[in-house]
Amino acid sequence: MIWLGNVLVSPGEGGVYGERTLDGYRVWDPYRSKFAALYALGGGIDLMPEMRVLYLGAANGTTVSHVADYVETVYAVEFAPRPMQDLLEVARRRKNIVPIMADAGRPEEYAPFMEGVDLVYQDVAQPNQVEIAERNLVFLKPGGHLILMLKTRSVDVRRDPAEVLAEARAGLEKHLVVVDVRWLEPYHQDHAAIVCSLPE
Amino acid sequence: MLQRYWFGDVDESGCRPAGTDPARLAERAATLRTGMESYAPIEWEVARDCGVIRTREEYINLLRAVTTTLARQKIAQSYQARDVELLQMVRMLDELDNVINLLQERAAEWYQVTNPSFSRKYRSLPAKKMLAIVRRGAGGGLADVAGEIERLAGTRSRLMREVSARADEVMPNTSALIGGLVAARLLSCAGGLAALARMPGSTIQVLGSERALFSHLRGGSPPPKHGIIFQHRRVHNAPKEVRGRVARVLAAKLAIAARLDYYRGEAVPEFIEDAQARIDEAGVVR
Repeated sequence: MIWLGNVLVSPGEGGVYGERTLDGYRVWDPYRSKFAALYALGGGIDLMPEMRVLYLGAANGTTVSHVADYVETVYAVEFAPRPMQDLLEVARRRKNIVPIMADAGRPEEYAPFMEGVDLVYQDVAQPNQVEIAERNLVFLKPGGHLILMLKTRSVDVRRDPAEVLAEARAGLEKHLVVVDVRWLEPYHQDHAAIVCSLPE
Repeated sequence: MLQRYWFGDVDESGCRPAGTDPARLAERAATLRTGMESYAPIEWEVARDCGVIRTREEYINLLRAVTTTLARQKIAQSYQARDVELLQMVRMLDELDNVINLLQERAAEWYQVTNPSFSRKYRSLPAKKMLAIVRRGAGGGLADVAGEIERLAGTRSRLMREVSARADEVMPNTSALIGGLVAARLLSCAGGLAALARMPGSTIQVLGSERALFSHLRGGSPPPKHGIIFQHRRVHNAPKEVRGRVARVLAAKLAIAARLDYYRGEAVPEFIEDAQARIDEAGVVR
């Protein structure tokens, strides 16, 4: 990962969503991007140039564009038409993004396009986030990683976020080894990042 | 095992490529049905050995062309849906209501400053009459504003009729039970006909009363009996002791009506008749 002082940046053509640039690098703001927040807090998996990434819940493609600056290929899955239009625009300028309009909870919709990936990054606002992650493990190579951005409020607003996290963690441990768990405060409220690896 | 990928079919005996034209590939990909039990992810080298592409770069480029084409088609489809425009129409209507109310109140306040005797009367007057008085009584800017508000009110009534007519067309069963306007508001609150059709009756019953609902869920306050559906005369005219029951029965029937509208798309007279009878029955005080 590239840091200028204590600012996380990514190398690439700027002007994707009005992000600031610093010495020709694009600033990756932890307050906007949960992925950046995870790195800012000292966690995360280093993105490598040869990596292939499956990004679930790509939204407008702001975070996707930063990930694409680092890795070889990003498969960006988004379901809603409005953000998908923005994502297509981002993908037009970045030749290593494969934009896929599909429901992340139904991997069979996009399986015919997928190759094995080194990292699955999931940021979807659905109550069954853990289940969605499980269904997408079929694309993860042995030794690869899953980063789940758990929106505890989307799982159940009425329950204690810590309780929701514990349950999600237990669910993931059925298939994966949990490497790191951390809350994204002060950057994002009631969001936790769960980093897991798939045993070889 | 046979694997059906975007660039062709692959099994032990080899690979049958499906061509290199993105439009044709997209068309084929849209029809693929993948069973996840026997699925294995693509190894892109297979596409190369199969003669579809020569390099990794070409592979990604062709794949991008295919998925982009598919995404554009899906976006166009979702915007074409008949309920999407209705959604915008209702929201515009509600926005107009807000704006007209604000302007009207401000105009009355202004007029009152120059005509102190107006203060007691205007509150009880219908808005239309009040505006006419202001337009005639005041001069200059205020008269202009009053005239504009009247025009806006005219626009609003025309839009309201349009919304009602469109709702009758898009959601005939729901509209038959609760009227086009309220049906359209339900649609707007749910965020589309597809979303409304997937809602249980209990959710439809309290759509629009989220504040009361969440204050209830957090504890303490009683649950809301009705949200938007209160706007229908059957609910707000019902005697208080049966109002909750009417709302519940109506909402349950609306849930069925929304599904008929979404999946069948035409009025079902037997259902409507049956539902009307059942809702009327719920309104009888025993």
